[in-house]
Amino acid sequence: MTYKRGLTPYLYFIPVIAFLIMFLGYPLIETFRLAFTHRVGPLGNFSRIIESGELWIALRYTLLISVVVVPLQLVFALALALFINMRFKGYLLLLYIIAIPLALSDVSAALMSYSIFGPSGFVNKILINLGLTDSPVYFFGYMYETRAFWVIVLTEVWRATPLVFVILLAGLQSVNKEYLEAADVFGFSRWTKLRKITLPILKPAILSALLIRTLFAFQIFGVVWLLAGRDIRILAGEAFYWQTIRYNSNVAASYGLVIAVVSIAISWVYLVILRSREVEGARA
Amino acid sequence: MIKRILVLLTAILIAIWFLSPVVLIVISSLTPSAEYYDPQRILPRSLTLSHLRSLFVTLDGWRATLNSLQVAGMSIGISFLFGIPAAYALTRFVFRGKNTLRLGILMTRSFPVLIIGVPLVVLYLRIGISDTLFGVALAHTSMVLPFVVLISSSIIGGVSVEYEEAGMVFGLSRFGSFMRITMPLVLPGLAASAIFAFIMSWNEVFVAAVLTLTNRTLPAHILNTAMTAPDYFKFAAGTIMAVPAMVFIFFTRKYLISLWGISLK
Amino acid sequence: MRKLLVLLVALIVTSVVFADVAWVSTQFHPPAERDFVEGTLLPNFRRETGITARFLALTYEEASTRIRAEQQAQRVTVALFGDLQGGIDLMGSQGFLTDLTDVTFPDRTFIPTLEQYAYNYGIKQFVPWLQATYVMMVNKQAFEYLPAGLTEHDVRNATANWTYDALLEWVKSIHAATGRRMLGFPEAPLGLWHRFLHGHIYPSFTGAQAMRFDSLEAIAMWEYLRDLFEYVNPASSTWANMSEPLLRNEVWIAWDHTARLTDALRARPDDFVPIPGPAGPAGRGFITVLVGLSIPKGAPNTDEAVELMGFLTSPEVQVQILDRVGFFPVVEEAVGHIPTGALKFLAEGVVAQSGAEDALMAFIPGLGPLGGEFTETYRLAFTRIVRDGEDIVKVLTELAPDVRDVFKEAGAPLPEPDIGYYK
Repeated sequence: MTYKRGLTPYLYFIPVIAFLIMFLGYPLIETFRLAFTHRVGPLGNFSRIIESGELWIALRYTLLISVVVVPLQLVFALALALFINMRFKGYLLLLYIIAIPLALSDVSAALMSYSIFGPSGFVNKILINLGLTDSPVYFFGYMYETRAFWVIVLTEVWRATPLVFVILLAGLQSVNKEYLEAADVFGFSRWTKLRKITLPILKPAILSALLIRTLFAFQIFGVVWLLAGRDIRILAGEAFYWQTIRYNSNVAASYGLVIAVVSIAISWVYLVILRSREVEGARA
Repeated sequence: MIKRILVLLTAILIAIWFLSPVVLIVISSLTPSAEYYDPQRILPRSLTLSHLRSLFVTLDGWRATLNSLQVAGMSIGISFLFGIPAAYALTRFVFRGKNTLRLGILMTRSFPVLIIGVPLVVLYLRIGISDTLFGVALAHTSMVLPFVVLISSSIIGGVSVEYEEAGMVFGLSRFGSFMRITMPLVLPGLAASAIFAFIMSWNEVFVAAVLTLTNRTLPAHILNTAMTAPDYFKFAAGTIMAVPAMVFIFFTRKYLISLWGISLK
Repeated sequence: MRKLLVLLVALIVTSVVFADVAWVSTQFHPPAERDFVEGTLLPNFRRETGITARFLALTYEEASTRIRAEQQAQRVTVALFGDLQGGIDLMGSQGFLTDLTDVTFPDRTFIPTLEQYAYNYGIKQFVPWLQATYVMMVNKQAFEYLPAGLTEHDVRNATANWTYDALLEWVKSIHAATGRRMLGFPEAPLGLWHRFLHGHIYPSFTGAQAMRFDSLEAIAMWEYLRDLFEYVNPASSTWANMSEPLLRNEVWIAWDHTARLTDALRARPDDFVPIPGPAGPAGRGFITVLVGLSIPKGAPNTDEAVELMGFLTSPEVQVQILDRVGFFPVVEEAVGHIPTGALKFLAEGVVAQSGAEDALMAFIPGLGPLGGEFTETYRLAFTRIVRDGEDIVKVLTELAPDVRDVFKEAGAPLPEPDIGYYK
């Protein structure tokens, strides 16, 4: 690590900062202004969505989805990465297959999910053909929130696990073979090797994957909006709803601010963890 | 032997899990509407290209695909050009306010893009880049750039600074040393983040739809035409979005191999 | 001098060749409708006039964002703007539109009850373009389960027997026989469910859309809706377009916008019948939707845009639009043409509804930017009363001031039929 005084380190940031001020800063200031503009006072928008209970509903569902989806993605991705890293015959083909959802949009994934779970979807056609039901089983609708929730979880796990997988697999490449060979010499079990060598080395990759996925989970929009509409209310969906259906940018901006605050809180926690690692890195 | 069968079975299960939704939406998009609405019929007896054709050819899906690729390409280019120096400084220098800077970059990413979309429309009209792919690319860059900085810094941080310092001892400049020594080592990771950046731009609908009239990206175009349509048009839309994805994976497969450090041998 | 002349000629030629009318529309979004505009209407227009027009179908929010942004930046590219009367009114309230008082087409008569809504904020904001309404669509199988005292003739011709109570008995009878909830509404966020609440059932029960929001009659109405929703398909909350569930036989009776029912009717014209909505104690309330064409202030190619307006409102094109898309004509010369095919049935349903003796026509109020607040209050009342089971009087008392304040805040006139109810 090079210790630098003076302006040099800051020069490296000029392009990024200039760009972000232009294309995020200006719109962000506008967003703040909107969220705190209301005819009864600056907090009018917030008291409106808090008193009606709408904010709580959206916050609760957003949290619930994140809490369920992110750990599932992490566990599946880790298992996949370790499996691929065994480099059995044909593992490359499997790697390409796993990589496919990487390039699919949330809109596309939601549509795929709908082709499976929709009223004329494959699940219903199979059930009807097997004689298990004669009218479609609904997975979406206000009475079936729980089913819709799990379909959304399934869709999100399917769609975004490969993103985590890519980060973890890249992380696995930095696991030094010699460590593992040394461990073999000492007769460590597979599990011990994973726990004592692979996972600690993977820790930064896991942390950055977790951070990225949690931030995204809080901005989940396309899948929920297309599959469940407002039956499952989420923060970004409410912002979109207030902006485009109620023409009320002020309340929309308020939901945006809530997403921002929660996201920053999460980022902070991860950063604290990451920073402790960097101090070690600086010494090494 | 048993282990090999187990591995094979697991691999097949994983492949089915990841492939089946794609296969099923492709089938759905090729199903004639009468058969789609027939609950007794799981797989169609005949296939039709008519849904795909109207969406792709008649309704301009082809041009929108090219637009999407251009936007994503420009976003990746700009964000790496601007992002790598910052990522380098974050890992190689110690200076006052470093964590504030890092947090500041993170914070910018926390805002939902759909909120910044509307103010950007007015800004673009003022500076004369409204309804251009470049304008969309800039908006997407603002969304992609923070992650490029953060991911790249974690990747560059994984390469010991001592190699670079050694290069500098032997007369390389700081830039030369970074390009000749660190760059080859971090390329796999950077490729992963480039894929990431591509996906972010590719997926983005709202800003692209608000910022353009004639130069629509594929998702914006599809959101505009397919979402108010019958189911089979939705599936055609989903399929059209999936095809470039597979093409993308196909063309980058060599990079996937070399960049993720997996050799064929 | 010669050079200058050549340059001048070149300029004129290019300006004629490239006179491009950018036509933004919030209507004709669905692929088939866009196909019709881009593949039939615009080529015909070019053949007639030599003018090229570009058709840009935008969503409501995109269109309003676009028009507003262009006005604010003083760089207008949109030459013609087609939107709902409410959306145009929103732009007019900001002073974004050109006065069209001088734009007249002597060879046709716009239906006066529709054209009167073009005037607001001291200008003629638009030229009427399309109209549409909401009807119900019935799968003929449902006629096998009609309750006592209701006949197919009653339903199709909107007799006094075709009431909301009869609808409840009907869906009850279907449920008793099949065990299924076969009534459906487009309740998804992008569905038009709120139009049913404020424009159909509210006037039918209370005689007004908004002004009698918390009346005794309204309480009776909400009690009725609670009963009715025992028989409404619970997947309704995900439907934006009722053609789909009708085609899947998930519902037998559906209510929606005519344009969103044409797909079903077109696919299986022998299975479905469009019918008028039922009547309540105060009459047979229903909405008429009006779509207009307007020109943004400072727009380029204004003359060409007016030409396009003329083309789009000509009787021939109006009938063509009805035939292909299911929007009804706004010029009297075209009204007589009843199209052949599936849409003939639709036209009959619409005529039966508007021609019913107890017809109570409702217009969507022009509330400018507060239109969303207005409609969402009705949806909120529905969610709280029917879904969450809250006390009717409490909810209505809480929300009634919101509904009334919206009109005060927007400075908007009361819509039909409220305006006739209170003088």
